[in-house]
Parts: sequence; C-alpha cells; structure tokens
Amino acid sequence: MLRFLVRRALGAAVILFLLSIVTFLIFFGMPRDPALLICGKSCTPANLENIRHVLGLDQSIPEQYWLFLQNLVLGSNDYLQGPCPAPCFGYSFHTGEAVWDTLIDRLPTTVSLTIGGAVCFLIFGLGTGLLAAWRRGTLIDKAATATAMVVSSMQIYFLGPLALAILVYQMQLFDKPAYNEFTKDPVAWFGGLVIPWVILSTIFAAQYTRMARSAMIEQLQEDHVRTARAKGMSRRYVFFRYAWRGSLIPIVTIFGIDMGSLLGGAIITEYTFGLPGLGRLAVDAVSFSDLPLLLGVMLFSAAMILLFNIVVDAAYAFIDPRVRLS
Amino acid sequence: MTSPIDLEGGGTAAVTDGGPGAEKKKSEDPGLVGRSPGQLMWLRFRRDRTGVIAACVVGFYFLIALLAPVIAKLYGKNPYTVYADERPELFDSAGVPVQPNGGISAEFWFGLEPGNGYDVFTKLLYGIRTSLMISVAVTITVVLTGILLGVTAGYLGGKADYWISRVIDFLLAFPAQLFFIASMPVVVALFVHPRDETPTYVRVLALIIVQWFLGWMSLARILRGTTLALREREFIEAAKVSGAPPWRIIRKEILPNVVTPLLVQSTYLLPNFVTAEAGLSFLGVGIVEPTPDWGQMFSKASTELVMQNDITYMFFPGVSMIIFIVAFNLLGDSVRDAFDPKTAR
Repeated sequence: MLRFLVRRALGAAVILFLLSIVTFLIFFGMPRDPALLICGKSCTPANLENIRHVLGLDQSIPEQYWLFLQNLVLGSNDYLQGPCPAPCFGYSFHTGEAVWDTLIDRLPTTVSLTIGGAVCFLIFGLGTGLLAAWRRGTLIDKAATATAMVVSSMQIYFLGPLALAILVYQMQLFDKPAYNEFTKDPVAWFGGLVIPWVILSTIFAAQYTRMARSAMIEQLQEDHVRTARAKGMSRRYVFFRYAWRGSLIPIVTIFGIDMGSLLGGAIITEYTFGLPGLGRLAVDAVSFSDLPLLLGVMLFSAAMILLFNIVVDAAYAFIDPRVRLS
Repeated sequence: MTSPIDLEGGGTAAVTDGGPGAEKKKSEDPGLVGRSPGQLMWLRFRRDRTGVIAACVVGFYFLIALLAPVIAKLYGKNPYTVYADERPELFDSAGVPVQPNGGISAEFWFGLEPGNGYDVFTKLLYGIRTSLMISVAVTITVVLTGILLGVTAGYLGGKADYWISRVIDFLLAFPAQLFFIASMPVVVALFVHPRDETPTYVRVLALIIVQWFLGWMSLARILRGTTLALREREFIEAAKVSGAPPWRIIRKEILPNVVTPLLVQSTYLLPNFVTAEAGLSFLGVGIVEPTPDWGQMFSKASTELVMQNDITYMFFPGVSMIIFIVAFNLLGDSVRDAFDPKTAR
C-alpha cells in the first residue's frame, strides 16, 4: 500500500512538474509581452518597468522558469512586497498579497461548498438511483429516469440565478448566499451555503442517479447475485450487500474525479452565488490579468485533481479485493 | 456506459455483418436485398420515434440559427437596437420594461431585455447562431484532430502510439474549465495588442482554439482503441499483403470503419461544447456585449436588476438551452442504438 502511494505520488509530481512548464509557457512564453498584459489598459511606463523587473521578464524564458521553480521550492526574499516563504508563487499584481496566502485564504469556502454539495448529491443522486433500480420498470423508475435526463441537461448558470431570483429576491425566504466561517457561526455557515449546495448538487445528483441505476441493473443480472437469490437470501440483502458493492467501482471513479475538480474551484457555482472561493479567485484573476495568481490557482487545482485520482485508485483496493495495487 | 469496447463492438458490427439475420427477419422485404451498414443504420434510426423527434428538434435549432438574419428581417427588428434609447416610454427609470412579463407584447414576442432594452426574440436567435457556430467549429476541429492523432497512434503503434497516448493522459490531467478561462486572455493577446479593443472575431477564434486544445483527447483515445482493434483484422492484413500503401489502408480500410464511434462521440461532444462556450460567456471571458450570445444572455439574467424585477427574461435562454441539450442527448442515444443495436441501455 505504502509503495503504491509513494509511486503514484511520484508520478503525480512528474505530471505536476510538466503541467507547470506548460502553464508557465502559456502564460509567460506565448504573449509577446506578458508585462503589458498584466499591466492592463491603463498602464504607466513606470509600472510596466516595475513588473518587468519583479518577474525577471528581462531574462530568457528558461531562466524565468528556473527562477519560478527556485522561488516555489526555496522561497524568496527578493520581492518588493516582502519575504515570500517556501511555496512561493509570487505576489498578486492586483491585490499585492502573496499568492499562496490568498489560495489558503480562499480554500475553506471551496472546501465547504464541495463537502456540503457532495453530501447532498450523494444522498439525492444515489438514493434516487437505487430506488429506480429497486423498482425497475415501474412508474417511479420512469419518473426518476426522465427527471434525471432533464435535470442533467440543465446548467448551473440557469438554475442558480433562477433560485436566487425566486427564493431570495422575490419571496425573500433566504438571505443572499454568503460564506461564514464554520468555527465562528455554524448556523450562519449552513444558512449561507444551503442554496449553493442544493443547486450544485441537483445537476451532479442527476448524473449519479443515472449511473447508480444502470450500474445496479447491470449488477443484479450477474451470476453471483442470482445464485445468492436462489439460495434464498432476501431481496434486500442481496440488493445492498451483493449488487451495491459491485456497482461502487464506477461510482467511486466518477466521485473522485468530481471531488478533485470541485476542490479545484467550482467556478460557475462560486461565481453565480458570489462565494469567495478558488473558482471565483480564478475568474477575478482573469479579469485583472493577474498572471502569478492564475498560475497559482491552475497548479493548485491540478494538484487537487491528481490527488483525488490517487485516492480513487487506492479506494479501489478497499472496495474490490480483487484489485491489487502493486 | 460508452466504453471504447462497446464502440469497438459497434464498429465491427457495421463492418462484418453486412446484414445481420435479425434485421432481415424483421424487415418486410422477402427477397434477399443487400443493404449497406449505412442503410441499415438509417432503417433502425427511422424506427426509433424518440430519436426522430429529437433529430427534428435539433434540426430546428440549426435551421433557426442559419436563418436568423432572414427571420429577424421578416420580424422587422435586429438584436443591436437599443430600445431603451429608441423607445424610452417602454421602460421605467431602472430600465425594466413597464409592461408585465418582461414587456412581452405583439410587437416584442419575447419581451425586452432589462437594462439596454434589446429585443429578446432576435437576440436569442442570433445568440443561438453564435453559440452553435462556435460549437460546430470546435467539433469539426476536434474531430479532425481526433482522427489524425487517434488513427495515427492506433495504426502505427510503437513509439508514435506511446507518445500520443502520454500527451493525451497529460492533457486530461489539466483542470479544463479553469484552463479555459485562464488562457482566454492570453490567446486573445496573441492576436491583439492588450491596449486595443478586441474585435469579436478574435474572441470567437480564441474560444475555438481554447476549447479545441483540451477537447480532442477523449475522441482520439476512442479512435485509437478502435483502430488498434481494426489493425489486427484480416481485411487489413489482406490489404497489406496485396501491397496497399499505409495511407491507402488508412483512407480506404480504416476510416470508413471508425465512422460509427466518430458520429456517436460527436453527438455527445457538441452539446458539451455548447454548454462550455455558454459557461465561458456567462463568466464574462467569452463573447461580450453587444454581440448576441446564448451564454452571455445567462450572464445578463444573473444580474441583480433582472433577478429582482424580471424573472421572465431568464426563461428564454434557460428553457431553450434545456430543450436543445435534452434533444441532443436523446439524439446521441438514438444514433448509438441505431449503429449498434447490440448495446443494451
């Protein structure tokens, strides 16, 4: 197990390293003059000169990248804004804060959104999917399948504003969604995030409903399931102990991918509800052409995706003893 | 599940079984009439009522997208007229249409947009046009890249296969949505000086490039798998033995046989590109006003002005997109079933 984890972690580190090169090339190598892009439309020559100097843009691209890596691993004291300890992504040009601090600052919002959303969509989605498989062919099954089909074709950028308009602005049942720290005020934390959770989860839930239903139906046709039924085990026992376990593999796979990408920033959800998470940070960074910040969010987000890929692979071994990790 | 294996099965079914026995029995034609796989597919598809309806709906969307200028001309308005300036009596001081339901009337069928007061009907038509244009362009580039790299990797094998597969794996690790929004300004800056205004066609081009860059991998991977399986088949061997050059084998033997997974995957990809493009415009990094765009209408719908005063406006882009995506997904399922009757849903 440990060997597997170490090997996968090394593999992920290599991918992350390559990804950092590509991202760096895209952001600093491709534009003719990144400083001009960062500086924006109202740019003074003095500002431009300062940016060039701070980023080391007067040097060649490999040298710049080397500098970036050096700062990332060792930290740097050369920044005008102050010292920058070990995972140093530099300083944001727009806010003047250290990129790493900003990322850590925004992380709790994204984590809260992801965990709450995941709990909701697992309960709704898998619940409906299991119900549909259990009552296969009945009206319940058809209704669940049709609803899942339509809901999975909806978009957060339609449902989100609609929910806001109806629940917040017109009926005034809820306050505007906002992020409150869980440790300070759990009730406000819950109240502020409940609409985003439900909206985020409806779209995901529909996918899980379809997946759980088809996986369960497939599993229920397996020989070992039929044998278990023939031996006289109750339908419920076979359903939950035999078929359910078998359908976990595809569900866990997709769940891992979803968690990874959500933790890297649920961009549209955060943007729609004005939640200050990583996704929102990325959108803001784009609108201010804040390249150091963008690079930081990109790498952070990719690291999340890779991390959850490893978690999923490790989880297979627990779900299915036939999978060997070495 | 659309695993490559299913699709490979689909490919082979279309190749070898020029007329599967079950098909022959079902069709009323008593004489032994040879049918091409394409004809069989068409017959099966026509029998699937959901699929035909879905195809009609999708066709309708493409038709109105194509004919948007004609329709707008007949209707007598265009999506660029700022009615808040032209006809101020229609709006209150906040810029919200005075008449109920977002200003829907005999003159303005879908009402008026709060704020600038564009005509919603023409704006939606042109918006669908822009979105579909971009998505179709992305699909075409993705399909071309997918064929090129997927078939090359699958047919050549060895080093080429190894490296193309590694590139695919690597690009799949990219956080796609984040990459889209992050690289948009960079790609735009390739064409335009950052201080100048960005023309619309550059934004369109940038949207296509960015989505293409991270869009082709799944298709290429599937085509690689299909080609890999085809390469070992007897008819390819026969072609090789008879001295056909690789290019001819790819063109005449392999390409016709990857059409099935290609078509099925494209029908799944296109709606994804539509929603991705709309998402980018929603976030404000795609198409911006005054160019009409589906996604940009969503971003307008999420402003406080609209949410507070005019819910009706939200439904036009929202409902039209849901219908489009549902129809396209149903069409995708039907196309798959028609090509590959063996896969049970």
